[in-house]
Amino acid sequence: MSRLANVLVVGLAMLGLAAGCNRGSSTESGAAPKVAFVMKTLNHPFFLDMQRGAEEAAGREGIQLVVQAAEREIDVEKQMQIIENLLQTGIRALIVTPSGSREIASAIAKANRGAVPVIVVDTRVDPKAAADNKLQIASFIGSDNYEGGRLAGEYLAKSTGGKARVAILEGIPGHETGDSRLRGFREALQQHPGMTIVASQPANWERDLGFTVFQNMLQAHADIDALFACSDLMALGAVEAIAAAGRSGGIRVVGFDALDDARKMIEAGRMEASVAQSPRDMGRIAVESAARLLRGQAVAAEQKVPIALVTKSGTAGSH
Amino acid sequence: MTPRLLHVQSRRQLGTFAGLIALCLILWAATPHFLTVSNLLNVLEQTAINAVVAVGMTFVIISGGIDLSVGSILALSGIALGSALQAGVPVPVAIALALAVGLACGLVNGVLVTFGRLPPFIATLGMMSVARGAALMLAEGRPISGFDDGFRMLATGRVLMLPAPAITAGLIYAVAHFVLGHTVFGRAAYAIGGNEEAARLSGVAVRYHKTAIYGVAGLMSAAAAVILTARLNSAQPTAGTMYELDAIAATVIGGTSLLGGEGTIMGALIGALIMGVLRNGLNLLDVSSFFQQVVIGVVIIGAVLVDMSLKRHRR
Repeated sequence: MSRLANVLVVGLAMLGLAAGCNRGSSTESGAAPKVAFVMKTLNHPFFLDMQRGAEEAAGREGIQLVVQAAEREIDVEKQMQIIENLLQTGIRALIVTPSGSREIASAIAKANRGAVPVIVVDTRVDPKAAADNKLQIASFIGSDNYEGGRLAGEYLAKSTGGKARVAILEGIPGHETGDSRLRGFREALQQHPGMTIVASQPANWERDLGFTVFQNMLQAHADIDALFACSDLMALGAVEAIAAAGRSGGIRVVGFDALDDARKMIEAGRMEASVAQSPRDMGRIAVESAARLLRGQAVAAEQKVPIALVTKSGTAGSH
Repeated sequence: MTPRLLHVQSRRQLGTFAGLIALCLILWAATPHFLTVSNLLNVLEQTAINAVVAVGMTFVIISGGIDLSVGSILALSGIALGSALQAGVPVPVAIALALAVGLACGLVNGVLVTFGRLPPFIATLGMMSVARGAALMLAEGRPISGFDDGFRMLATGRVLMLPAPAITAGLIYAVAHFVLGHTVFGRAAYAIGGNEEAARLSGVAVRYHKTAIYGVAGLMSAAAAVILTARLNSAQPTAGTMYELDAIAATVIGGTSLLGGEGTIMGALIGALIMGVLRNGLNLLDVSSFFQQVVIGVVIIGAVLVDMSLKRHRR
């Protein structure tokens, strides 16, 4: 029987650890309704800001907020598992930032079947996937990514005098967020015939890939004047690649998200600008909307969170 | 397999099974949401994909090898399936195509290991990159989505309440259990993993069987790809990233030795269930995903430590 005891000891030890980390979800007798917020990831400053905004609002609204995310941002299957599992715990509303705009549909359908209202944040659900699955989405809360891309394009056109060879670092292909930013940026540049896009490649939202991909781009096109990165993490990687190539200050870099690190780079003159979203507002509005739904009040089907361009000379809004 | 080995293995399997039961009991005590019919069905559905990949991994590891390419082969087979379905190919033909792609990749692994004399780690590391790259190329980096409801029944269907992925996995396990325990092929896998030279000298067609073993691993990845594609309603070139590690974990938790020559199919099932139950339970308890990784790592190490102490007991 000693082996059985062994196994039991290991099992108990693990659960002891787990329970130690349990943030009090077992105290479910309280009246506070439980709302789940399932994010793309919890190791990115953008989503941590969103979490902060959401938790602040949850405190004010008297909501018990459960925030979870998969280990890796691209793991759509794991995100679906988390939603399925949380639906088992009697949540009253589900807030989600989809890891995949199409793949999330099956998980939302499950919430719909359980009559749990769904609020989507940041990344829109693919309209066709939503229609095919007859999804009920109570509200979408997000930045106007298209407008953000356009803002970045207009800014670069102005700051380069309408004539530049431009490179683009894209996010993971097929993501609605990145695709919209890209579309906005490209359409802005089309108004300026002097602006030519010489390279456009995905760097999967990652800092290290931003470095490598842009380093390769510089090998192929040494004459790049400007870079638009669909996220700051990729822009920050590229800024290091520019430094490694000894061209700091020679290439105008515009990013997206206005992370703290990017703001510092802008102050230091190593980046030109970044499009600021307000993740904290997104988190706040999402939880407030959930609270309204639980009180039986209506929420708007679409809630746009303002964006702005951060440059060394200050912040310029678009809304 | 000698009766004595069988006896020892079934005893060890009992140990792992006891671990699974203990885990369930603890979760039952910790949260009221764990032991409900709908949650248990939920766990079965979620575990099916890893469990199916682990079948192939078990064959490979018993034969003394390793397969790092299963996640990438899963992605490539999925993309083949998705492209075919989107081109209007009938569902059974598209599935057959996906399975053929997986089988072919696996056989290439096998040929590299046997005739090419590459260490399995190297051969499958190469395939991991080749298959992933091929999947990304074929799909142009984008997911292929939106299939018809008939195909999606493979994930959404229910038979007597049981989710279709769990039934598929159950059938695969029944067949694999029989093949490993009661056929020439299964005995060859144990013999090769136990002592390859001795197996060769006693007349086992080592290269033939080894190639086929890697073929089985590729085939199982493709089967998992079918379930995953139906479940997500989308075939993704990035799907299956790190699934090889989940499958290896399920296999070793289930008592299969990385040194080869011992292990069981049912052990892999129990291993996959332990991982599935653990992830589910940690979600229910609202444990952060960071800490979940710590827990899963500790369970893998703990399970193998226990297993090794059992082995010492035997001697």
